[in-house]
Amino acid sequence: MTTKIKDVLYPIAFAVGLILIWEAVVRIFDIPLYLLPAPSDIARVVDGELLRNMGATLYEAVLGFLLANVLGFLTAILFVHSRPAEKGIFPLAIALKTTPVVALAPLLVIWLGTGYWSKVAASMIICFFPILVNSVKGLKAVEHEAWELFSAYKGTKAEIFWKLRLPTSLPYVLSALKISSSLAIVGAIVGEFVGSNKGLGYLVLLSSYHLDTPVMFSAIAAAAVAGLILFGIIASVEKRVIFWQKVDEV
Amino acid sequence: MAAISSLAGSVRERAAGAAFDAGGSAGASSGAHLQTSAISIQNCSLTFGSVRVLNGVSLDVRSGEFMSILGPSGCGKSTLLRLILGLLRPDQGGGITLHVPREEIGIVFQKPVLMPWQTAIQNIELPLNIGPQRAKQSKAERRERAEWTLELVGLADFRNHYPQQLSGGMQQRIAIARALAANPSILLMDEPFGALDEFTREKLNIELLRLWANPDTKLNTVVMVTHSIQESVLMSDRIVMMSPRPANVSDIVQVPLAHPREAEMQELPAFLSTVREIRKQVKAL
Ligand SMILES: Nc1ncnc2c1ncn2[C@@H]1O[C@H](COP(=O)(O)OP(=O)(O)OP(=O)(O)O)[C@@H](O)[C@H]1O
Ligand SMILES: [Mg+2]
Repeated sequence: MTTKIKDVLYPIAFAVGLILIWEAVVRIFDIPLYLLPAPSDIARVVDGELLRNMGATLYEAVLGFLLANVLGFLTAILFVHSRPAEKGIFPLAIALKTTPVVALAPLLVIWLGTGYWSKVAASMIICFFPILVNSVKGLKAVEHEAWELFSAYKGTKAEIFWKLRLPTSLPYVLSALKISSSLAIVGAIVGEFVGSNKGLGYLVLLSSYHLDTPVMFSAIAAAAVAGLILFGIIASVEKRVIFWQKVDEV
Repeated sequence: MAAISSLAGSVRERAAGAAFDAGGSAGASSGAHLQTSAISIQNCSLTFGSVRVLNGVSLDVRSGEFMSILGPSGCGKSTLLRLILGLLRPDQGGGITLHVPREEIGIVFQKPVLMPWQTAIQNIELPLNIGPQRAKQSKAERRERAEWTLELVGLADFRNHYPQQLSGGMQQRIAIARALAANPSILLMDEPFGALDEFTREKLNIELLRLWANPDTKLNTVVMVTHSIQESVLMSDRIVMMSPRPANVSDIVQVPLAHPREAEMQELPAFLSTVREIRKQVKAL
């Protein structure tokens, strides 16, 4: 077997094994449904409603993810070209990072309402920092000699940016994207907890009021799957774009 | 070997021609003596903060010569090359005069400095694709030029390889090809073979001499920083010895060996005595 097949097969085999054990344990010990539903009970409540809620959460998360990353990368470009901007804004960004999104979420709902935007904003706030820090680091990671090479041949500022700084920063950028792909879902769900009528966060909250544990489990599982999907997409983009090196930072 | 001898012969002529073109001083056109300067460094000092690195260095690089710079680590050899390239400015009172257009100076750094996201051919093409060079040639011409220098350094088979897929010696050859792609008449090299094993190093030494002698390239003057006395004697016409920091030119040694140079010349008495002489001077520094 090739390593590639093993990489896929082993985790699947392991997960299937876990699910089987879980199912067996619940049946043998007759654990009540509201405490721990069996995988089969959870599977039974998977329906269009769940997928619709998952879609809503994904929509908010992806939108927040994209906006935050574009904004974060542009801010990083500003930082590496202007020291005053970096000195002035970076501390604010750190302050924003150390403020828990959970604490901000109610405020976001007051400002932006119970619709999509408060969740998008929560997701943005949580995604913003990794991309900012990593992009600044990446854009500055240019080797001194490489910079001298471009200068020696009279490369313009734009050429230095597009042909040197940008590609140098890509491994850092993609490592930030991987991290924030799962954080984006967290942001959206936190936003939904505070005030919404759809999304996986809403579903988790609602099912907890009704003690409908199977639905709650299905929503939790859907959130995990949503995170995995985003992560998988970014990881495969990374493999294609950054074939020359990997960095795992932040 | 006969072919190489004739190439070397034409280099001599070409160098003389260049001297004539440059409208050099009287007597420069006599041909046998390559007296026209390509780069003049006058009384250049350089201070980094409180550290004085160069101390009134004056040096003339002659058009057509192969010059080596030898000196203790940290004395300012790389700094001197940066001054010539205009990447650094000398302190008040110093001056650098280039007798060729600035674009005709190529550079090979101590490290290959290749872009890992670009293939060998793309890396070689880089200097042609940036700055004022870009407008000078069409896309096809630039590519053709890069292909040609790739072949010149003998790596045509590795055209589409990425730097990580090449050995250290191959990477350094790509770096040399990149410098040659911009068609320099003067090549500055900062310990280009420093990181290589003895075997590869000697092979590339001879290869570089062949490129220098190749009449198809405009290249006629090389300034090479090196740590190796043997390498400097094998390759150069003149060897500039630098003193420890604050550095100055302590001596210039003329190498009494004929061109074209071969690896076997390292056994000649003239080679050995020059090496001995330099070693003695290095000890005295
Ligand atoms: N950008 C810089 N800022 C401060 N000091 C510098 C800078 N660049 C070089 N120096 C100092 O200048 C001195 C000469 O450096 P340089 O790199 O020219 O030496 P070198 O002769 O090339 O040495 P080596 O043979 O080890 O490469 C060193 O002592 C170094 O500390
Ligand atoms: Mg050096």
